[in-house]
Amino acid sequence: MKKRFDYGYLIALVISLSVALLIGAGIIAITGRSPLRAYGALIDGVFSSWRHIGDTLEYAMVLCLCGLACDVGSRAGIFNVGGEGQLLLGALVASRIGTLMDGVTPWLAIPCAILGAVAVGGFYAFIPGILKVKLKVNEVITTIMMNSIAVFLCVYFAKGPWKNSVNAEGIIVPEAYRFTTLIRSSNLSTAIIISAVLTFLVWYILQKTTKGYEMRLTGDNPRFARFAGIKADRLVIAAMVVSGMMCGLVGMFRVYGAERIFKTTAVSNEYYFEGLMVAMIAQYQPLPTIIISLIFAILKIGAMGMQSVGVPIQIYWILQTVVIFCMAGEKGIRAAIRKAREKRAAERDVLARREGGTANE
Amino acid sequence: MTDEIRFEHISMEFPGVLANDDISLSIRNGEVFALVGENGAGKSTLMNILYGINTPTAGNLYVRGEKVTDFSPKAAIDRGIGMVHQHFMLVPSFTVAQNIVLGREPKNAGVLFDNKKAEKLTRELVKEYGLEVDPSAEVRDISVGLQQRVEILKTLYRGADILILDEPTAVLTPQETDELFEVIRRIVREKEMTVIIITHKLYEVMAISDRVGVMRQGKLVGVENTCDVDEKKLASMMVGRPVLFDHLEKTGTPGDVAIEVDDLYVADNRGLPAVRGVSLSVRKGEVLGIAAIEGNGQSELLEAITGMRKINRGHVTVCGTDATGKTPGEIRALGLSHVPEDRLSTGVDKVASVSDNLLVGKQKEKRFNLFGFHQRRSTVDRYAEELYEKFDIRGAGIHTEVGSMSGGNMQKVVVAREFSFDTPVLVISQPTRGVDIGAMEFFHTRIIEQRNAGAAILLSSADLDEVFRLSDRIITLYEGKITGEFKADEITKEEIGLYMTGTGEGAKA
Repeated sequence: MKKRFDYGYLIALVISLSVALLIGAGIIAITGRSPLRAYGALIDGVFSSWRHIGDTLEYAMVLCLCGLACDVGSRAGIFNVGGEGQLLLGALVASRIGTLMDGVTPWLAIPCAILGAVAVGGFYAFIPGILKVKLKVNEVITTIMMNSIAVFLCVYFAKGPWKNSVNAEGIIVPEAYRFTTLIRSSNLSTAIIISAVLTFLVWYILQKTTKGYEMRLTGDNPRFARFAGIKADRLVIAAMVVSGMMCGLVGMFRVYGAERIFKTTAVSNEYYFEGLMVAMIAQYQPLPTIIISLIFAILKIGAMGMQSVGVPIQIYWILQTVVIFCMAGEKGIRAAIRKAREKRAAERDVLARREGGTANE
Repeated sequence: MTDEIRFEHISMEFPGVLANDDISLSIRNGEVFALVGENGAGKSTLMNILYGINTPTAGNLYVRGEKVTDFSPKAAIDRGIGMVHQHFMLVPSFTVAQNIVLGREPKNAGVLFDNKKAEKLTRELVKEYGLEVDPSAEVRDISVGLQQRVEILKTLYRGADILILDEPTAVLTPQETDELFEVIRRIVREKEMTVIIITHKLYEVMAISDRVGVMRQGKLVGVENTCDVDEKKLASMMVGRPVLFDHLEKTGTPGDVAIEVDDLYVADNRGLPAVRGVSLSVRKGEVLGIAAIEGNGQSELLEAITGMRKINRGHVTVCGTDATGKTPGEIRALGLSHVPEDRLSTGVDKVASVSDNLLVGKQKEKRFNLFGFHQRRSTVDRYAEELYEKFDIRGAGIHTEVGSMSGGNMQKVVVAREFSFDTPVLVISQPTRGVDIGAMEFFHTRIIEQRNAGAAILLSSADLDEVFRLSDRIITLYEGKITGEFKADEITKEEIGLYMTGTGEGAKA
């Protein structure tokens, strides 16, 4: 679609980020530290070493995949808040498959782990999907509740029957199956290559294909989609399942790439919810999702760097909240800009008419 | 007669729109003045200025020679101006009397609402103006015509002697319209009231008004004595070019039956029976019109036929195949297209572009797909451009968001898409609701074109004139049952009106 680039969105995003950084600076100043030094430490925290750059990229990858998973659902009109549970279960099943298949060639074991993670994530999303379509049960409520179920299931299995040994802290993924680390001692692994391909695929399907078009119509107006003969119910369930599959895959990447061991809180510390925030700020559009993931990853890893000058990591949450707050007003900002522009145009128009005598029709 | 109201060089400007452009107009005491014009011509804006809702950007307004400086509905009411809006503003669970006194209630001991007195005041009003209505009836239980009467009484209770009626007949049967006109004539004659009526039904202008003002694109293009003009002249003044209205040539003879409905039972959204045992059939090359007052099952009937609503009992056959219980998509595949009653909620994706909206239903066709999944945007846009031209859609091009278009153009998008399927069966509901005369002419021509090309058309419209103009046969629905079936040229509007209210000869309501 030949649509002019959306400058309004970009302007709003830049304003939001600036406001967030300014407010952050104010708070840092109140606590008696130099905002300049703190933000310097933030930049340092990300770019001073390859290791931190690697960690930043890995975190951006997680946010991006989670955000895109949310985009896929939202595009068809179903809001997946259950990604956290799907992610954790995907990680749990993948790590269990890893320990069970220990000794088998990685060429078989890793695809099996991926399949397992994707299947369980998809299935866990299928339940709220079909409940929404068939019984009109609100998916936000079901997915939130299912998140809790997933967390407790994971804690039980990781600390109970699926623990490798009595002394192990969780389910350890065999050395041979781990993704190759791309930057030494960082979290960045070859998983990012698969992620890049996947990201491209999601963008392509949502923006360029007939299926993506049908999903968009369904999300915009389900009654119209049904009226026009699109199999809307099926699309909604499919979008939800794909969303869940992506989340399951992220879980697998976390244990096979960065963490190497399945411990519930380490695999995901509500990472899906951060991805969801990213998706919301990006207004469920794939390209902005990618960019904002990167920005938020820089802020988060940088905030850890800021701790070295005594600024607590909580500043990250403040920054994130302010950005979300400002972007919530994005439509308002945009409307204000448009209104001012239209008013000027109308004034010009009237002036021109009066000068030109009779108006031409 | 003296000038009751005088607009002097009134202009009203909204951001980007000059809704009223230098309007000067006098309305005389004790006349019925009709204000006509297409949608968006600025009629309502002008009346909203008189009623104090809008403050004009330029010019002066005089009421009884006094210059108006404070624009607010409250001040307008104090000046004796009353307005009855198109959509009634009544509390359904209140009685007639309670609605009438609302805002200026009679009170017992200064605090408690005095219902007896309210009913007494209402009875006095009813008697004085001869507007018969039961003061103690609840508004939700009375007919739309009576509700309108309550609205008029409400303005009279507040002391109005200038009455503005915004599209008052849109929801009325022919009988109710006649009664309304009788009331208007009486209050003008006996009470010397001034009545301004906004409308776009030209025969009503001829029937009721003394003078008529025509608006087009924010300007007043003419004020005439009604006796000096005819409908054709008014129509061409409104549109700005001659309108050829009686030029629908119907050709060909009806062919095979394409829609067959057999003893259909359908429920409405609340689960109450809406369609109760309807049987009908439509042949190829004919238009079957449904005449019914809103809420008598016609919406549910069409939704059931097109698969949008569940069928409780009975059968629908489309082009010889049983369509009962099939999805809208499956029924479309049998050869049916559907222009839905409510285009905003059902007929379009408001936030998608014109191009996207025109494609729907054809998106899986080979020419729009590369390798069976990649959408060929350039082909899609070329196709959309073609339809855009062919159906004379006016707007900022095929990439415009449909939701930002006018009602008429949005409807053109819907009709362009549905007619482009070239199916043997068309189900059309409210084709010209909220559409202006120029576009109406266009839609009517298109519908008859499809009919002459051999399509079977089932039409439902709240506009009885439209039903008469387009249909070969007409059925009347009342409370979910068919109360009569007629050849369109063998019955009058007045007779049909009786069947629509279930009082027709032999009606089994």
